[in-house]
Amino acid sequence: MSTPPTSNPPTTRLWGGLEGVRVQLEQVTLVRGGTTVFESLNLDLTERRIGLIGDNGAGKSSLFRLICGLDRPKTGQVHVHGPSSVGMMFQNPDEQIIFPTVEDELGLSLQASGLSRQAARTRAREWLLARGLGAWAERAIGSLSQGQRQHVCWLSLLIASHGLLLLDEPFSNLDLPGQAQLDREVSEATQHIILSTHVLQHIRHFERVIWLDAGAVRLDGPGHAVCMAYEADVAARSARPT
Amino acid sequence: MNVNSSLRATPLIALFAALLAVLGLIPKIDLPLGVPITLQTLGVMLAGCMLGPKRGLQALLLFLFAVALGLPLLSGGRGGLGVFFAPSSGYLLGWPLGALVTGWLMALLPSRSPRSTSVSAFIASAVGGLWVVHVCGVVGLVVLAKLTWEQALLGTLTFVPGDLIKCGLCAMVVHTVARGMPDWRFGGRTI
Amino acid sequence: MGSLYSEHRTWLHGVPAGLKLLVLALIGTALFFTDRVAVLLPSTLLCGLMLASLGRATLGAAKLWVSLVIACLLVLGFHALMHQPMLGIVSALRLLSTAWMGVALTLTTRYTDLLDVFERWLSPLAHLGIRVDRVALQLALMLRFIDHFFGLWQRLDDAHRVRTGRPGGLRLLAPLTIQMLRSARRVADTLELRLGQ
Repeated sequence: MSTPPTSNPPTTRLWGGLEGVRVQLEQVTLVRGGTTVFESLNLDLTERRIGLIGDNGAGKSSLFRLICGLDRPKTGQVHVHGPSSVGMMFQNPDEQIIFPTVEDELGLSLQASGLSRQAARTRAREWLLARGLGAWAERAIGSLSQGQRQHVCWLSLLIASHGLLLLDEPFSNLDLPGQAQLDREVSEATQHIILSTHVLQHIRHFERVIWLDAGAVRLDGPGHAVCMAYEADVAARSARPT
Repeated sequence: MNVNSSLRATPLIALFAALLAVLGLIPKIDLPLGVPITLQTLGVMLAGCMLGPKRGLQALLLFLFAVALGLPLLSGGRGGLGVFFAPSSGYLLGWPLGALVTGWLMALLPSRSPRSTSVSAFIASAVGGLWVVHVCGVVGLVVLAKLTWEQALLGTLTFVPGDLIKCGLCAMVVHTVARGMPDWRFGGRTI
Repeated sequence: MGSLYSEHRTWLHGVPAGLKLLVLALIGTALFFTDRVAVLLPSTLLCGLMLASLGRATLGAAKLWVSLVIACLLVLGFHALMHQPMLGIVSALRLLSTAWMGVALTLTTRYTDLLDVFERWLSPLAHLGIRVDRVALQLALMLRFIDHFFGLWQRLDDAHRVRTGRPGGLRLLAPLTIQMLRSARRVADTLELRLGQ
């Protein structure tokens, strides 16, 4: 896949060559709707599993939007190096699922690489069969539970063979079994994953966790340490009389 | 305009087509000649006011296409190519034109404040959603049902009061949206 | 939300969608060019017979074709009153035959098959720059949004009832529209991500 031509490309993607995935933010300033979200942010992300934590409004979703190209920084550069594309899972599966049946929805992920609708549907069906999910192919999205719909979103990410996956608070709508299943899937996935969540138990074991606070990196390091520090900070703030 | 802006407009087009379908599920009243009173014309007006002429037209074309494919999206659960041969199909075919004209006017009329926007919406809906649709309906009645112009005009006038109420409803919805989403550009001014 | 397609298999279900659509288009157009009862009456009877031959499959569209019959009877009545019965008969026959053919098509063809036919027939237009593949996408999104609307309407209605004790009704239309517009923006993000790269 060649670099897509854009005018003023502050986000560059370089395909081919490197085995791993690397995301670099250089002096990135992002302004959204009049608020400065990030100011001269610098980040270098290479680890296979990275967690992203912080209060609501700290900029976690904005960071994701920068990495996948939905937003452009006002100044600075965002580079994503890697052999393939970036995929993102949003919080609400209902706003993410486009087609009314599972096989059509997964087929959409394949259509991006040029397959016709019918061919994509057939390939999706085979893919599901190979994973033991053949019965899901013709299911209507409307008949699936919230957790099952989120699973469909996850499947469409997998089938698209991305190199990097961004998961934006994927555990928030799941019950305990659903969370356990997603945990398993995340640990088995071969892609690089950056995961933002409020449920810290899922990322404590990640090699790197970044704590974002009001658009800046408050702490950046091994999962256990950063999570503990964040929890301590939250406890201290809650204990303080307002 | 690059491809991406038309890609970003796709959900909005689909959204208003869906709104039309949902409005059709509120029970309708059938009058002689099979001409229905439905809330769906409200959807035509909203599509024009909110999306503008080009996208509003596309929303209506998408909706009618879905109906033609056999989806029961017209009020009363009607659908399929058969409905386009009924005497009332003039009204149906007038919907896309109605959305186009409504959107056109909405883009021309002022929308600086929620109040002026809703007044513009009322006027745009009355001309596009009401007048244009009724003209198409009357033509349809004359051509398909072989009524005389007088008969058709008389028949269509009975719906005008109901449709005026819908124009008012459209204006109210536009007013609330203008207050709740101050950065929304009515009439498709920037999509 | 279902469709009018009937699960009761009939002889017409096996006929390819493209062929049915073509026949309907050709015969329907031809009928509009004739005023002769000698042609219209047998063709209407034939169409009626064909529809009746579908048997149980027609139950799903009973409301539909009954309302068509009523509409045509009214047209007949009108013209009879105006002492122009032939005019009424001609238009009623024409409308009935084409409408009944349309109903037969709808009952026996999956909308996805019709969509495939449509895409195939219009694919030459792609050379003119018209995005034919977008139609399937828009259609799918529309269906998803219909589901989404209902869920949202229900939730807003529940919230309204809990707070005021009364159903929300049309009062909910504006907040519903605002929420759906915000939703559409996020869907646009998803589309841009999945197809825009």
